[in-house]
Amino acid sequence: MLLKISDLHKIYKSGTHALKGVSFEVNEGEFLVVIGLSGSGKSTLLRCINRLIEPTSGTIEFMSKDITHVKNEELRKVHSQIAMVFQQFNLIKRRSVLINVLTGKLGSMSTLNSVLERFPQEVYEEAHNCLKIVGIEEKSDERADALSGGQQQRIAIARSLMQNPKLLLADEPVASLDPATSNSVMHYFEKVNKELGTTVICNLHFLSLVRRYATRVIALRDGTIVFEGQPSEITEEWFHTIYGEDAEEVEIK
Amino acid sequence: METKNVQMKPEEILNQNKRKEAKKNFIKAIFLDIFLVFYSLVVLHRIIYLRFFLNLKDIPFSWNHIAVLFIISIIIGFFWAFTKTSLSSKLFGIAKDTRTAKWTTEIFGWFLFDITFIAGWVVTKISIVDLFSSEGIQGANRIFGAIFSPEFGIFDDALTAIIETIYLALMATLISIPFTFILSFFTARNLMRDNKISFAIYYLLRIVLNFIRSIEPLIWAIIFSVWVGIGPFAGMIALLVHSIASNAKLYSEAIEGVDEGPIEAIVATGANKIQVVWYAVVPQIILPFLSFTIYRWDINVRMATIIGLVGGGGIGTMLIQYQGLARWHEVGLIVIMIAVVVWIMDYISAKIREAIY
Repeated sequence: MLLKISDLHKIYKSGTHALKGVSFEVNEGEFLVVIGLSGSGKSTLLRCINRLIEPTSGTIEFMSKDITHVKNEELRKVHSQIAMVFQQFNLIKRRSVLINVLTGKLGSMSTLNSVLERFPQEVYEEAHNCLKIVGIEEKSDERADALSGGQQQRIAIARSLMQNPKLLLADEPVASLDPATSNSVMHYFEKVNKELGTTVICNLHFLSLVRRYATRVIALRDGTIVFEGQPSEITEEWFHTIYGEDAEEVEIK
Repeated sequence: METKNVQMKPEEILNQNKRKEAKKNFIKAIFLDIFLVFYSLVVLHRIIYLRFFLNLKDIPFSWNHIAVLFIISIIIGFFWAFTKTSLSSKLFGIAKDTRTAKWTTEIFGWFLFDITFIAGWVVTKISIVDLFSSEGIQGANRIFGAIFSPEFGIFDDALTAIIETIYLALMATLISIPFTFILSFFTARNLMRDNKISFAIYYLLRIVLNFIRSIEPLIWAIIFSVWVGIGPFAGMIALLVHSIASNAKLYSEAIEGVDEGPIEAIVATGANKIQVVWYAVVPQIILPFLSFTIYRWDINVRMATIIGLVGGGGIGTMLIQYQGLARWHEVGLIVIMIAVVVWIMDYISAKIREAIY
C-alpha cells in the first residue's frame, strides 16, 4: 500500500470545514480519480496529501510513514517524493522550458548551486528525457509563457517527472484547457501511469475523462466521501448524488 | 463569556454589539466636540479678538489663557455632546434626527471653516498689497529679467556641477539596489508571515523603513553634511538612505503582488525557502524592480539639485552661492540648466520604462 488516509479533517482559519473525516487507501500503480463539485474539498485533499497544507486531524501514511505533521527537512523530503501538477500550470513564465523542467530537481540540489543555476550534466540529460516523454523536446529553449496551454501543462508534467515521484498528484489538470487538448494531456498522465508505473491521483470534472482514464474513483461531497468504486459503477443515480443539487430538491418534492 | 453568547439569540448579540458601538461613538464624540470647541475658542481669542479687536502686531502667548479656554471647552463640549445635536455626534452617526441638530451642525461646520480660513490668512501673512505693489513688481521684473538673460560666463563651472549632480544621483541609485533588493524580501508580508520570528522581523523593518522614509532627503542631507562634511558625498548618502527606504516599500509591494501559483509549484518540488524565492518570486519581480529603480534615478536627479542647497554638493550648492550674492543672471543660467537636465532625465526614464514593459 502506497498511501493510507484515515479520518482526515481540515478546518481553515476562516472556519471552513473543508474535509470531514475522509479515509481511503491507494495502492501502487493505481490511477485514482477524485470527483466532486467545486468546493467539495478535492483541492484541499490533494494539498493535504503532499502536505502543502497541514491537516487539522487524522493521519496520512505515505510509504508506511506517518507524514501528517512532518516539518522542515522531512517535509521537503515528502514534497520531493510526491509531485504535483496544477490547474493553472504554475510555470515560471519568463524562463525557458528547460529551466522550468530543471526546477523539478531543486529538492536534491544545494542552495548555492541552484541559485547559480549549476545543474549537473546528468540532470540536463534527465530533463531532456522528461521533455521527450511528453513530446516537446524541441521546445526546450523557448520561453514557457510563449507556449500553448496544453504544451505548458506538458512542461508541468515533465517538471513533476524530474522528481522521480512515487506519487503524482494532479489538481484539475485539464480544467483550463479545451476538450481536444484535455484528452491529449490526460493521455500523457496515462502514459506516465502505465509506462513508468507512477501512481496518479487526479481531480477531474469531466465524467467522460473519468470513465476513460480512471482505474478507481472517489467522489467527495461537502468534505466527505460519498462514492468509492469503479468508473463504470457511476450510474445516473450516483451522478445525482454526487453532483445534483437539483436532483435532491426534486426528490424532496 | 462564550457560554453566555451561546445562550443568546443572534438578534440579541447584534443588538448588544450595536449598543457597544453607540457607547464607543458617544465617547469619541465627546472628545472631538471638546477639541472642536477648544480650537474655535483659541482661534477666536488669538486671531479675532487679539489681532483684529485689540489690533496687536505680536500676539502674546500665555499658558494661562490656553488653560482657561481648555476648561471652558471641556464643559461646553461635554454638555453639547450630551444633547446629541453637536457636529461630532453627527459625524459619528449618533445625532438626533431633529431640526435643531441639523441646524447646529450646519452652522457650526461653516463657522469652523470660516474661522480656519481667516486664521490661515493671518498666519501665512497673505498680502495682496505685497504681490502687486510697485516695489514688488520691480523686484519681479528684476529677477525674471535676470533669469531670462542668463550669464553664460559660468557655463563651464555649472556644467561640471550639474554632471556632479547627475553622477551623485546615479551613485545613490546604484548603491541602493543591492540593499533594497535584499531588504524587500524581508519586508514582504507574503514571505514573512509563516512564523512569529520572521513576522516580528518584518514588522520591525517596516517601522524602521517607514520612519526613514518619512524624513525628507533634505533633512538627511543636513545630517550627513555634518557627519561627513559638506559636499557631494553627503548628498549621495542622503539620497541613498532615502532611496533604500522608499524603493524597499515599492519592491516589497511588488513581491506581495506576485502570482502565488509558481510559489506553490516550486514548494511542491521539495525546494527550500531560498530556492523558492529565487525561482518562483525573483523572475516575477525583476522587471518592476528595474522600472522602479530607473524611476528612482530620475527622482534622485531632481532631489540632488535641491539637496545641494543645504550642502549636498553639485549644482544646488552653486545655486545657493549665487543666490546669496544676489547675482541673478548667474542664478538664471543655473535654473535653466537644471530645468533642461531634469526634463531630459524625465524623458529618458519614461522611454526606458516603456521599453521594459
